[in-house]
Amino acid sequence: MADLKSLTLKKFIPLLSGRQARFDSAAAKFPDFSDQASVIAKALHPKRQYLKIAEVKEIAPDCKSFTLVPDPEKGTKELAYFGAGKYLTVFETINGMPATRAYSISSSPKDSLEGRYVLTIKLVEGGLVSRYIFDTWEVGTSVEVSAPSGNFEYQPLRDAKKVICLAGGSGITPFLSMANAIADGDEDFEMTLLYGSRNYECILFREELEELEKKCDKIKVVHVLSEKTKRGVKGIEKGFITAELIKKYAPEDEPYSVFLCGPQQMYEFVDKELEKLGLAKKYIRHEMFGEFHNPSTQADYPEGVPEKVKITVTVQDKTYIVFGSSGDSVMQILEKSEIPVPARCRSGECGFCHSRLISGEIYVPKHLEYRRLADYKFGGFHPCCSFPLTNLEIIVPAAK
Amino acid sequence: MKKYDVIIIGAGNGGLAAAATCAKAGLSTLLLERHNIPGGSASSFVRGRFEFEPSLHELAGVGSSETEVGSIEDMFIRMGGDVQWHTHDSTFRLVVPAKEGDKDTFINEDGVEVTVDARMPVGFRNFAKKLNEIVPGSYDSCMAAFDLSTRMFKAFECLDDPSKLPGSLKDVPDIMRMTSHTMKEALDTLGMPKKAQDIFNTYWCYMGSPASQFDFLYYMCVLHSYVKNGTGIPHMRSHEMSMALDKVIRDHDGEIWYNSEVTKVIVKNGKPAGVVINGEKEVYGKYFICNSYPYAVFKDLFDKNDIPAKQLKMLNARKTACSLTTVYLGMNVTKEQLGIKDYSIFIAPDSDSDKQYDAAQNYFSNYCIINCLNEIIPDCTPEGTCQLFLTTMTFGDVMKDIEPKDYKKFKTKIAKDMIETCERALNISITPYIEEIEIALPPTFARYLNTPLGTPYGYMLEKWDSMLPRTIQYMSDQPFDNFFFCGASQERGDGYGCAYYTGEKAGGIVVKKIKGGK
Repeated sequence: MADLKSLTLKKFIPLLSGRQARFDSAAAKFPDFSDQASVIAKALHPKRQYLKIAEVKEIAPDCKSFTLVPDPEKGTKELAYFGAGKYLTVFETINGMPATRAYSISSSPKDSLEGRYVLTIKLVEGGLVSRYIFDTWEVGTSVEVSAPSGNFEYQPLRDAKKVICLAGGSGITPFLSMANAIADGDEDFEMTLLYGSRNYECILFREELEELEKKCDKIKVVHVLSEKTKRGVKGIEKGFITAELIKKYAPEDEPYSVFLCGPQQMYEFVDKELEKLGLAKKYIRHEMFGEFHNPSTQADYPEGVPEKVKITVTVQDKTYIVFGSSGDSVMQILEKSEIPVPARCRSGECGFCHSRLISGEIYVPKHLEYRRLADYKFGGFHPCCSFPLTNLEIIVPAAK
Repeated sequence: MKKYDVIIIGAGNGGLAAAATCAKAGLSTLLLERHNIPGGSASSFVRGRFEFEPSLHELAGVGSSETEVGSIEDMFIRMGGDVQWHTHDSTFRLVVPAKEGDKDTFINEDGVEVTVDARMPVGFRNFAKKLNEIVPGSYDSCMAAFDLSTRMFKAFECLDDPSKLPGSLKDVPDIMRMTSHTMKEALDTLGMPKKAQDIFNTYWCYMGSPASQFDFLYYMCVLHSYVKNGTGIPHMRSHEMSMALDKVIRDHDGEIWYNSEVTKVIVKNGKPAGVVINGEKEVYGKYFICNSYPYAVFKDLFDKNDIPAKQLKMLNARKTACSLTTVYLGMNVTKEQLGIKDYSIFIAPDSDSDKQYDAAQNYFSNYCIINCLNEIIPDCTPEGTCQLFLTTMTFGDVMKDIEPKDYKKFKTKIAKDMIETCERALNISITPYIEEIEIALPPTFARYLNTPLGTPYGYMLEKWDSMLPRTIQYMSDQPFDNFFFCGASQERGDGYGCAYYTGEKAGGIVVKKIKGGK
């Protein structure tokens, strides 16, 4: 071996006292250093945003746009900036019952820098939260929301330069934000929007979309109306969003992406049409369509599931026993029993409600299956998209 | 009111190991975590049809036929944590593409002009032989280094009992020599040619400090383990390891509360007595183990008057280690179609590790590690696909000129640069096949780990503040006699094994204080 002994041993002992001396000679005050990484993290991902309603606009008989601004008195001085396509989770308490809903931001990212988000909310038939919002949200109402969240965004390294956006009804909201972002120069892609509505009168944001189209040559809007229309209006297609129709507007000699946002029924129809086009998976992106209902309508839903189930749930150091319907998600059952559950997307995707299944069986619709591999092994599950098949014993994190 | 024997703040690797140790010893144990899943960096996330590994590059010492005492697998066996391991018979491949004016370049198997292309095998002799092939005359010095590290591991056992130190270390003077000198000093003394040293030092980036700063002993710990055992990976991403420890803790009646952020430490009579959770709920305990960083803890959880002066001085004396940038890619083609043949490829702008470090002071310096998990776990993604992750490191506040509104574009730009660096260095095409992409920059790590500058690596292991002195002075570094730190901020710096080690050790200290004995 080479001459290790030539390395001096004397250096070691001073190393210990030297280290202490180094500490002793440092300042005894809290260090102050620039840390923009943490500043960015906090600015883009606040735990909560406390907002106030500044304006309410009825844009259709069953659809309202709410303009939300910061509520500095409650601690929100500015809004978190966001990428077009993101959603906010709204936190409400309805008759003592905690309730959350995720709504795409319909305004542009640029507006958020000026202290404005717009949420456009459609009244859902029999919908508890949208009904509550329609009845109670007015100018001045305080609203608590999450940071902008979600993955439904244009990503230039992944998506094609040309994007066919397929919207159904109030599924227009993220696309309106994206179109504005393109016009503002904050996003760079060519958008062809095929927007399905029942009839001409039902089209949401018709004028805004027209203006955007005029203002920016990267945006093209085509309305697709399922009901008969009066006259031939320019830029209108009749029927549904079919493979043929997509082909008609898609570029012929270069790749294109397809983005979808709309109700569950639209996805069921359009997904079959998209199959005919044989696009690579990477070119098709779905926004979540919100909470899933009626699991028993699914082909793989088992038979003989009891109507009523018992759930034993532990949150921190408290254990509760609640009863509910097997047609409701575990999250809904807990909320109806007034147990707050950590909730964000309500579609399985965000993973925020990640909980532990100790015993019992659950049903998760295939397309909402976002469990990780080790979750299957160790009982991790997402209450928002899991339906009880038997009595359950679960551990749920605190809602904060 | 219930008073726990021990409250553990943070369910990162250190916190999980600490909680498992305490719960197994029968202490009433409460583990608090602000996120909804365990693990901190040791986790996973799902995008489309891909489940990504967020942080783990490789583990040393798992899945081999003989489980070594002190290895990660040994800990999981002792704890009873059920993890399925995969192993791979390689260490790293270092590729240094040629720059203008470089001499001694050649065209490698990928058709790229390079100055270095070293694919290093497992096994001390194999490694030394390969090094000798690339740099003739390096065999003896390489074996001499491994001989020292082999003896060092034997001597390590006495390190776990600091009361014996430094006296008993006099019996193993080589260890003290190794920790008193840098890699360069030691390898020069052993007579290793410069070019061989460059290849030998490839793992420097796993240390979070430049090669001119860390001591020979620290680096040899890491290199020795990887060369001896090869690469190990859990089957279900590192989420499996964290969930396995979560189960161990619960099986031994330990409690874990997720979404339960400690927002204050309650101090009574000059000592921590309890914590406030989510700003509202108080719980009390006798001992505390903290997996969060001293900087974050003293900044947010303590009244200023309750912070011991030494802790403030320590914060000022130390430098925050590096942060990382990682690009996670779900590819719609196989690794064979991409043309990737290695698990772990280090692409460097220069073969000299100190120059690599200097270059990494700027945001992106063409230094990039590319990993392909399918090389170890062929079916970790659906048929016809594979996943890649690209990593580079940064030092200091590299985000200082970036405003939140510009962050998204900046992120994409960095990712693009990293992808293109890999494409050029390996002569492959990546971009057209990206089906899923996620990009993590220092703000991402700051968000999930709550560390200064978004470092996952703790404090820089500089020569004056290296592993051995930190280990010897661990007890006197702690802020209170019932409050112990564990994790990357402590004696061993970053790395899964290091964090588990510090957690288990802190847990052991508390068990001993409560139950007595060893």
